[in-house]
Amino acid sequence: MLAFARRNLLVYFRDKAALFFSLLAVFILIALYVFFLGDLMAEGLPDFPAKSWLLTSWILAGILAVTSVTTTLGAFGVMVEDRSTHTYLDFYASPIKRSSLFAGYVMSSIFIGFLMCLVVLFIANVFLFFSGGELLAFTQLLKIIGVSLLSVLASGSMILLLVSFFTTSNAFAAASTVIGTLLGFLAGIYIPIGNLPAYLQTIIKFFPTSHSAALFRQLLMDRPLQEAFSNAPIAVIEDFQLNMGVFFEINGSSSSLLFSVLYLLGTAFVFSFLFLTVMRWKRT
Amino acid sequence: MLKIIEVNGLQKSYGSVHAVQDISFYVEKGSLFSFLGTNGAGKSTTISIILTLLQHDTGDVKVNGLTVGKDDESIRKEIGVVFQDSLLDPLLTVRENLDLRARFYRMSKYERGAAIGRVAEIVDITAILERRYGKLSGGQKRRVDIARALLHQPKILLLDEPTTGLDPQNRKQIWNTILQLQRDTGMTVFLTTHYIEEAANSDFVVVMKEGRIIARGTPNQLKTDYSADRLVITAANHSQFRNQLQADQLEFREENASYILNLQRTTDAIPLLAKYQDDITSFEVMKSSLDDVFIQIHNGKDGSSDAGIC
Repeated sequence: MLAFARRNLLVYFRDKAALFFSLLAVFILIALYVFFLGDLMAEGLPDFPAKSWLLTSWILAGILAVTSVTTTLGAFGVMVEDRSTHTYLDFYASPIKRSSLFAGYVMSSIFIGFLMCLVVLFIANVFLFFSGGELLAFTQLLKIIGVSLLSVLASGSMILLLVSFFTTSNAFAAASTVIGTLLGFLAGIYIPIGNLPAYLQTIIKFFPTSHSAALFRQLLMDRPLQEAFSNAPIAVIEDFQLNMGVFFEINGSSSSLLFSVLYLLGTAFVFSFLFLTVMRWKRT
Repeated sequence: MLKIIEVNGLQKSYGSVHAVQDISFYVEKGSLFSFLGTNGAGKSTTISIILTLLQHDTGDVKVNGLTVGKDDESIRKEIGVVFQDSLLDPLLTVRENLDLRARFYRMSKYERGAAIGRVAEIVDITAILERRYGKLSGGQKRRVDIARALLHQPKILLLDEPTTGLDPQNRKQIWNTILQLQRDTGMTVFLTTHYIEEAANSDFVVVMKEGRIIARGTPNQLKTDYSADRLVITAANHSQFRNQLQADQLEFREENASYILNLQRTTDAIPLLAKYQDDITSFEVMKSSLDDVFIQIHNGKDGSSDAGIC
């Protein structure tokens, strides 16, 4: 299983085009922020201390959330490609259990998603430092790493269910492009959730990646929020946090860090169960 | 005589499509066995069942005494397979590909290194071990595919149309390797091919059509039963020669201004050539080929898929 997972890693990282496309949504997000959204959001807010640091942290949290989905999705592309090219026949004709092969795909995809999150986190940290912010504290970094793993597990379980329906690389590539594009909207990453209509806000609150983004925001924006709103009333801070999707308003009250963590854990459990049910149904 | 593969009463359907209908055959240990048939004949389904990739509906399949459906993992250790398409990873080097597959057979690092060295020598790929599989030529890829199939020293080498798409030179080279291997190791080779003449080297041939076996035998038996040598004559005076053949009550057919007479034996041409030597401008004795046999079997001598010599 480990050897097979290693093979999947090699195949993924040597396919430069696949690697690029799994990061495409991230690149789009960076470009949108640099050329368009960054200025737009800054103009929409009054001047306050650490404003740039705060907004950069907000977008970097979104980038981390997107990375946890798109790179895991791209990594599962190896499994779809093997199915598409019938490479799996060579594995099935070998004395290795299908469950081991499958576990190898899952393990490598989760590892790739997590590793890419760590790379993005490192770059984000350096970027924050050079753009006038502060380096993340060690405890914050550990928490972000934990959230990255949780996000990858949750998105991995959703993707697992999705890829069980794809048998051709072309269909999977098309679906990946659509998912990558929609992700920014569905997770409230392109535009702050408070600027969107109520029905869209409801959809976003249900979407698990939104909770990943919220968790990343809570951790990345903690210091700049303290700096920016040091003298502001609690209500103003809460209003800003709800508007920016740091927390979500659910049943009239603000969601908590624990709620988002449990939501992601629940997502991982429910989608893994659904996947196993689909596989059992397909076998019969 | 040891039977290394035994198939008895095998049936497999996909919904209302009966892919394999009650077929039985066996493969002798150490033999070169050819499995022929057009697309949709049921070859691939049968092979997939033998390889434990597909479950069968009814019947028994045994591989080296092991039962398909019960001892699948052990059976996979007995068979090395070269699939019709190249299925190794194009982005990995030849060595990486072989090393990964060797791990599937739980070989230690030392065993893997030794196995790769051994198979690389057999199929002459030592020089390309560090090259990416996707960058190799078609012939090189096929040699690597064979190396992959031989890694675990299987008792049976299953080749599913191994030379499709290769140029004649590469085809010949691949075949030399396979035949050499069979001679040297006594390995059983189970072959499916579209190049019927490749089956001429076989010890035994089975022909399938529409899910059933419609003919079986050694290549020579099949040639005897299903085709004949031909005498092709070109005459100076066409109408006169035609009348003469008709007067002598010989069966013949005309093709491109030539007359074709079927022969029971090649030597039957001698008296005919002597008799008509004054009329003949040129002649050719054509030996029957397995291609003729295959076409004959499929197009009609048997008349139906149920007939034949099974």
